[in-house]
Amino acid sequence: MRGGNDKIWADVDWVLVGMYFLVVVLGVSNVYSSVYNPEKPGLFNLETEHGKQIMWIGIALFIGVIIMIVDGSLIRKLSFWAYGVLVLLLVLVLFTEPINGAKSWFGIGSFGIQPSEVAKVGVCLALSAHLAENPPPKTPLTPRISISYLMALVTQNWKTVTILAIPSLLVLLQPDAGTFIIFTSFILVLYREGYAGNVLLFLLVAVIIAVITLIVADSSFMLPLLKIKMGGKFGIVLALLFIGLAFYLLIRNFVLKRNRGGLYRALVGSIIVSILFVNFVEWGYGTFLDDHQKERIELLLGKMEDPDGKGYNVNRAKAAIGSGGFAGKGYQKATLANASQKHVPMQSTDFIFCTWSEERGFLGSAFLVIFYCVLLIKIVSVAERQRSRYTRIFAYCVAGIFFYHVMINVGMGIGLAPVIGIPLPLFSYGGSSVLTFSLLLFILIKLDSERKIVLQ
Amino acid sequence: MRNIDNRKYVIALIFIMIPLIFVVRLFYMQVVDDKWKERAAQISENKVITYPARGIVYDRNGQKLISNEVYYDIRVIPKQMDEDVDSVSLAKLLDISLEEYTKKMNKARDYSYRKSSEVVRQIPPDEFADIGPEMYKYPGFFEVERTLRIYPKPIAAHVLGYMSEVDSSDIKRDAYYKSGDMIGKSGIEKSYEQVLRGEKGVKYYLQDAIGIETDRYEDGAYDTIAQQGKSVTLTIDADLQEYGEELMRNKRGSIVVLEPSSGEVLTMISSPTYDPNLLVGRRLGQNYGELAQDTLLPLLNRSANSTYPPGSTFKTLMALIAMQEGVITEEASFPCTKSLVGCHNHPTARGVSDGVKMSCNPYFYYVTRKIIQQGKNKSHFADAAIGLDIWAEYLHSFGLGEDMKTDFPAMRYGFIPNTDFYDNEFPSKSNPYGKFGWAYSTIYSNSIGQGEVLVSPLEMANIACVMANRGHFYYPHFVKEIEDGDVPSVYTTKRKTKVEPKYFDPVVDGMWRVVHEPGGTARRARVDSLDICGKTGTAENFKMYNGKRHQLIDHSIFIAFAPKDDPKIAVSVYIENSGFGGTWAAPIASLLIEQYLTGEIKDTIKENRILEADLMPIRYQKKK
Repeated sequence: MRGGNDKIWADVDWVLVGMYFLVVVLGVSNVYSSVYNPEKPGLFNLETEHGKQIMWIGIALFIGVIIMIVDGSLIRKLSFWAYGVLVLLLVLVLFTEPINGAKSWFGIGSFGIQPSEVAKVGVCLALSAHLAENPPPKTPLTPRISISYLMALVTQNWKTVTILAIPSLLVLLQPDAGTFIIFTSFILVLYREGYAGNVLLFLLVAVIIAVITLIVADSSFMLPLLKIKMGGKFGIVLALLFIGLAFYLLIRNFVLKRNRGGLYRALVGSIIVSILFVNFVEWGYGTFLDDHQKERIELLLGKMEDPDGKGYNVNRAKAAIGSGGFAGKGYQKATLANASQKHVPMQSTDFIFCTWSEERGFLGSAFLVIFYCVLLIKIVSVAERQRSRYTRIFAYCVAGIFFYHVMINVGMGIGLAPVIGIPLPLFSYGGSSVLTFSLLLFILIKLDSERKIVLQ
Repeated sequence: MRNIDNRKYVIALIFIMIPLIFVVRLFYMQVVDDKWKERAAQISENKVITYPARGIVYDRNGQKLISNEVYYDIRVIPKQMDEDVDSVSLAKLLDISLEEYTKKMNKARDYSYRKSSEVVRQIPPDEFADIGPEMYKYPGFFEVERTLRIYPKPIAAHVLGYMSEVDSSDIKRDAYYKSGDMIGKSGIEKSYEQVLRGEKGVKYYLQDAIGIETDRYEDGAYDTIAQQGKSVTLTIDADLQEYGEELMRNKRGSIVVLEPSSGEVLTMISSPTYDPNLLVGRRLGQNYGELAQDTLLPLLNRSANSTYPPGSTFKTLMALIAMQEGVITEEASFPCTKSLVGCHNHPTARGVSDGVKMSCNPYFYYVTRKIIQQGKNKSHFADAAIGLDIWAEYLHSFGLGEDMKTDFPAMRYGFIPNTDFYDNEFPSKSNPYGKFGWAYSTIYSNSIGQGEVLVSPLEMANIACVMANRGHFYYPHFVKEIEDGDVPSVYTTKRKTKVEPKYFDPVVDGMWRVVHEPGGTARRARVDSLDICGKTGTAENFKMYNGKRHQLIDHSIFIAFAPKDDPKIAVSVYIENSGFGGTWAAPIASLLIEQYLTGEIKDTIKENRILEADLMPIRYQKKK
């Protein structure tokens, strides 16, 4: 024991702690409203979801206190052990009985735990530990088509890729697409740590091309002048070729001759890659996605409308949120997202944002979104004040996971993201998710509180 | 390295931009756009309508003409049913076939497992008395009360009208109605629909995702209670109506009885008629179909929706107009020139009173010629045009061919031809007489109530009122009292004809002599001490088939009022295809008058002759 008890708490970021308590208290009050059953009125009744939620928060706080007491270096040392144990759980869960078609749960009485949730903590720890010791090469590799380049690419990155790939594949086997998508949030971390600089721009362009491809996929158009009927896909290819031509003309007229060669190569390469990508999206969409996943994407893109059938969830969620108005219907006055009317499904978990927004209106919904925004910026600022690479990387891992959850959960309620069943951090009912997000924040607070001691 | 540190700004920017987009989107969805609020109300709120009982209809003496009776619908909630329900005995209990039962149950399950569906509708109380005690054996099945119309006396079907489900035009016209609602389709039920229907109540519920009501919306703050329709008291005398219908049994035709001092309709009969209870509830469909196919047209209201040639009753008006115009005096005498227009054998009519009494056709030929051809223009044809329009204007002042605002739906009023009609429309629109193409000699048939003139039985009863009142009348109407409402002033306004009262005396005198003196045409209408005044009419009529005109037996017509001084009752009687006016119409009118004024019939031979007569078959005139 170094420093004694008073030292442990001295550098704790109480703002972060305060934000944690604010969001869980609002969360419990909201779960209480969303599942309120007059026959089980008690707040601490363990037969109710809010009762269980309070119990899980209690457990999380207990673990949190232990985390605060132990030494931060222990956490760093145990990173790979934690990762190993949680991967083992992800393997073991595949041998359980499927619930709702997925092998995701370990049941203990009426309580269940989802290892895929808690595994996020392990991945964060392991990734932080690995990247802290293995920073990316200082001079980034310039793209070249050569054996040595590819070899270097593999030898330098295979561990990072493996750490992320093992749990990703395991959750896909459950199957749990939601958690898999959450794992892609680590791209933000890699980006921050100096990997492939243009990866975000590249992703943005890829998403735009993918969305356009899916929108026009089964439409067709007449080619002007030639009067040939063409599939929508060829329209995109034509558009890409035109964009390529425009860039070619730009480069020829505005770039110094000696610089043109590399740009021409990059241009030709990216056009070819884009065209291949268009075909890949079309093929992958048809091959990898289930029908219900395709439906959700088509509903989101507005290619399909079915408010009382396949679009039921989103339609009811939007109606609940939209009917909240400016100031809301009042606490426990929701008429769509509540336990007795049940118009909005899963109103205490995946669609918890609906109950909140219906009862609290725009004032409440905007407050909650801005709250998460402030929390994310707070975590970024915490990350950036670290001298420890480990803590900084871990903080970005936490920020990325929170961000993805908020973006997808709120986004699907307001029709800006496809329906993917993931919880709103520390707000939705669910023991595993409360435990996971609490652990992530507590570990961050603990590591941050040692920022003045840990120098590297 | 500095370059890479800057990436924190990119990440922070992403963390700010996405929530910002969300806030803008939330502002649009929750504050700007009302679409989702409407959608939410549509999803979560349920409006349950409670139906008011309809207003009661009374006759002038407080007897119930239309009342309400409770009926029962049997409904089912499939989810609450026993799995091993004995469908055979249940179908038997509900008096439906097993196939129908199975069909209904499948339909109910298709509609909803948790919401109720109808199994049998409108079970009358006497049948439900057997079903009710057995219902406990069949969980999931339950009864719902509904009220339907009941007619305590099976009379006045045409006056009272019937109700049926609203059609799409009703729903479009008036937001009050929703699909499946009932509405008055004819008669008083239609004309006083707005008064009788009452106000629906509304209860707002919250419903859950399956459609089950869970809670009152805002604790019932917006709910309203159903208000029973207002009652309406009619001018109809139920006893007289009933007696009249008895007299009209096995006869085709119509009777209208008015009170001269008020224009109130005491009785309106169209025969053949039907029991109004036939057109109620689940009986309506089949019974309506059968009545509609009856060749004797029992659904037709001959009193309000038919017009006839007035026949000789029209002559009284010719005499009045001629005297008012000053073209004859009451002493005017004309020869019975049968070569002009046919007539029966009678002494020469000396004066208007004689002319009316003996109903001399040539007499009124001359009288009317004096009205039409007054010599106001040198041209014979132009003169006739001027005269005809004067003539028509007088007749309109008697209410003929005028909208008398009677509170009855689809009233058909008579037709008084004018110059325009003969110039442009008669004999046909494609080939009319044309301007100055006709004179009195062309249109003289109108003088004896044949030709182109048409009247409705209601208008003829009103003419009897005008005679009784010596020159004025009130628009005929059915309403005597409306609960919490007033009788419109249009019915209490005295309407004066263009003929002065003094000219009525010789005509009324003639009408008294028609009934009381030897040589009068309606001696059968005489009742001692009642001073009945009347005028017979006999209208020729044809039926076209196979493109040929077939002359039918004449319509027998009689208009009358009584007593001569201080009249209390005015009557018009039309008996289709029965012959001379004095033979059938006159005695029927007198029986009604006697029953109304004295409450009994002294001459039972006369009454039995009418009750036993069967004039129903359509008979053709024998070839002369």
